[in-house]
Amino acid sequence: MLAVNVNNIKKTFVTKQETVEAVKDVSFQVEQGEIFGLLGPNGAGKSTTILMLTTLLSVTSGKASILGLDITTKDKEVREKIGVALQDTGIDNLLTGKELFFTTCRLWGYSKKDSEKRTLELLELVGLTEAADRRVKTYSGGMKRRLDLGLSLVHSPEILFLDEPTTGLDPGSRRVLWEEIKRLRDNGVTIILTTQYLEEADELADRLAIIDEGLVVAEGTSDELKASIGGDVITFSFENDLDLKNAKNVLYDAIEDKGQLRITVEDGAAKIPSFINDLNKNGIIVSSVSASKPTLDDVFLEVTGYRLEGSAGTDSSNELEVK
Amino acid sequence: MESNRSFFVQLQVLTKRMVLRVVRRPLAELPNLIISAFFLFVYDGALGGVFGGSASGTPFDFANGNFINFILPVSIVSASLSGAASGIYLVEDIESGVFKRYQSMPISRWAIILAPMNVGALRVLLQAGLILLIGKFIGANPEVGNVGFFIVLSLAFIWGMGFAGYSVAAGVKSGSSQGAQAATFLFFPAIFLAPTFVPREQLKGWLETAAAYNPTTYVIEGMRSVMVQGWELDTLFRGYLSATSFAVITLTLAVISARKATEKA
Ligand SMILES: Nc1ncnc2c1ncn2[C@@H]1O[C@H](COP(=O)(O)OP(=O)(O)OP(=O)(O)O)[C@@H](O)[C@H]1O
Ligand SMILES: [Mg+2]
Repeated sequence: MLAVNVNNIKKTFVTKQETVEAVKDVSFQVEQGEIFGLLGPNGAGKSTTILMLTTLLSVTSGKASILGLDITTKDKEVREKIGVALQDTGIDNLLTGKELFFTTCRLWGYSKKDSEKRTLELLELVGLTEAADRRVKTYSGGMKRRLDLGLSLVHSPEILFLDEPTTGLDPGSRRVLWEEIKRLRDNGVTIILTTQYLEEADELADRLAIIDEGLVVAEGTSDELKASIGGDVITFSFENDLDLKNAKNVLYDAIEDKGQLRITVEDGAAKIPSFINDLNKNGIIVSSVSASKPTLDDVFLEVTGYRLEGSAGTDSSNELEVK
Repeated sequence: MESNRSFFVQLQVLTKRMVLRVVRRPLAELPNLIISAFFLFVYDGALGGVFGGSASGTPFDFANGNFINFILPVSIVSASLSGAASGIYLVEDIESGVFKRYQSMPISRWAIILAPMNVGALRVLLQAGLILLIGKFIGANPEVGNVGFFIVLSLAFIWGMGFAGYSVAAGVKSGSSQGAQAATFLFFPAIFLAPTFVPREQLKGWLETAAAYNPTTYVIEGMRSVMVQGWELDTLFRGYLSATSFAVITLTLAVISARKATEKA
């Protein structure tokens, strides 16, 4: 059975001033035991999608089910199966971490004794044992996110929804959380997470969907998406603008991007020498050239027509420096 | 593991959590307590000599020689307005997103709404109880005996729950804690358009009319009857009727608005 099956769901908000189509048409399927990423920029409709799937927001049209349970007609049953950590984390700052876990365990129906036991387990699991008796007010951003993750795990859900679990965290804290999420996946939990970070989608998600302006514009494993662009991306840099301009006439397929030329070809590394030859024959000096597999960044550019903010430096290319 | 999701367990757990919140920022409780004590001390000091002992035998002898007995109900009514904190507690949870977290869990929506009401009720009882204690200490002495204190407290409780309901309705409707805070502005008309410092017969003109339409008037008069005059069952009845009607209306409003708030958008 599919963990999550989403078919053409849509959400339209009607306010006095305007009508917002927050989610226009979103479909995707998630297998049990995988991490599924929803990658998209601010306002893409990620949170709205998560809120609908977690039964906190009604669906304007379309259908979705969690473990075969319809999210609209079986919302109570769905809530039993899922854990949710929302983007605007509702954490009670005046309580201690331990009190929050205990309260949440009691609300899920555990007895006092079981709640105490589960509290200690979960504090350990998310690495907050040391800070257990401090008020949440004093927690760092990373600790709060881990607390939030822990709270969503109280009832051992089969499916976990995490809305931007690492936004605003430093790279170190982000990595700690990634490891945590992977460990949960390895223990059989299905995870649906949203992110605006290419690197996170690349590193963490077994499969992902790119969502933009309320539409899913691409879906697959990170490798499939990259392969869908076809071939490798070769990037040329030049000594001066004149060479750049002349090179454009030689490499007429190339796209200019930030003072460099990029061209997508099959088997890029093998073709570099002949490209350089052609350019040299025309008296153009190449200052550096690199061939890389397309990155998610490239995929994003291809399917949306623009780059995700702050996504530079995420490629793991095999650089070939030519001096 | 066994599972017990009874409504009462949830209500108890949520109430306890909210009590912890209140206890951990005690300063938030002070203003209302101070204002209530203010009525007691300052007005007794300022007016007690005039309307109390020295007025005996004159038309101003409405306090029957003990101005504390006369002013104590005003203090108590003012203390019972602290029930309005219920709405603020609830809206804080809505604003912080805690409310949404609870909604994503299988928790009774009534437990979510009733917990802040419970805490509001506790606050009213504690504050009013404390003021009564101070009052007794500085000489309040109900005409009907000590049972008078319980009558006053019970009226304060019902009246306080009325404000709790009002603040929950206003807070949820406006969706912001300012909305709930605004409810506490009712304090002024409630207290000052009423026979606060003198009996209703001594009020003049528009103030007399306003007081006649202010339910607080009847609550204060009900309390005063047992404090100052003795058993006046019709006055007492009007007090309870007034407080209860107010509470029934506002609690109904609270339930309706809370129902809306817990529905899916
Ligand atoms: N309750 C609402 N009423 C009206 N419009 C809304 C509401 N909630 C969301 N929107 C709009 O719907 C669109 C999608 O919002 P959503 O929060 O789902 O985006 P997101 O992908 O989660 O963005 P972010 O990365 O910033 O969290 C936005 O244009 C937003 O303004
Ligand atoms: Mg979002």
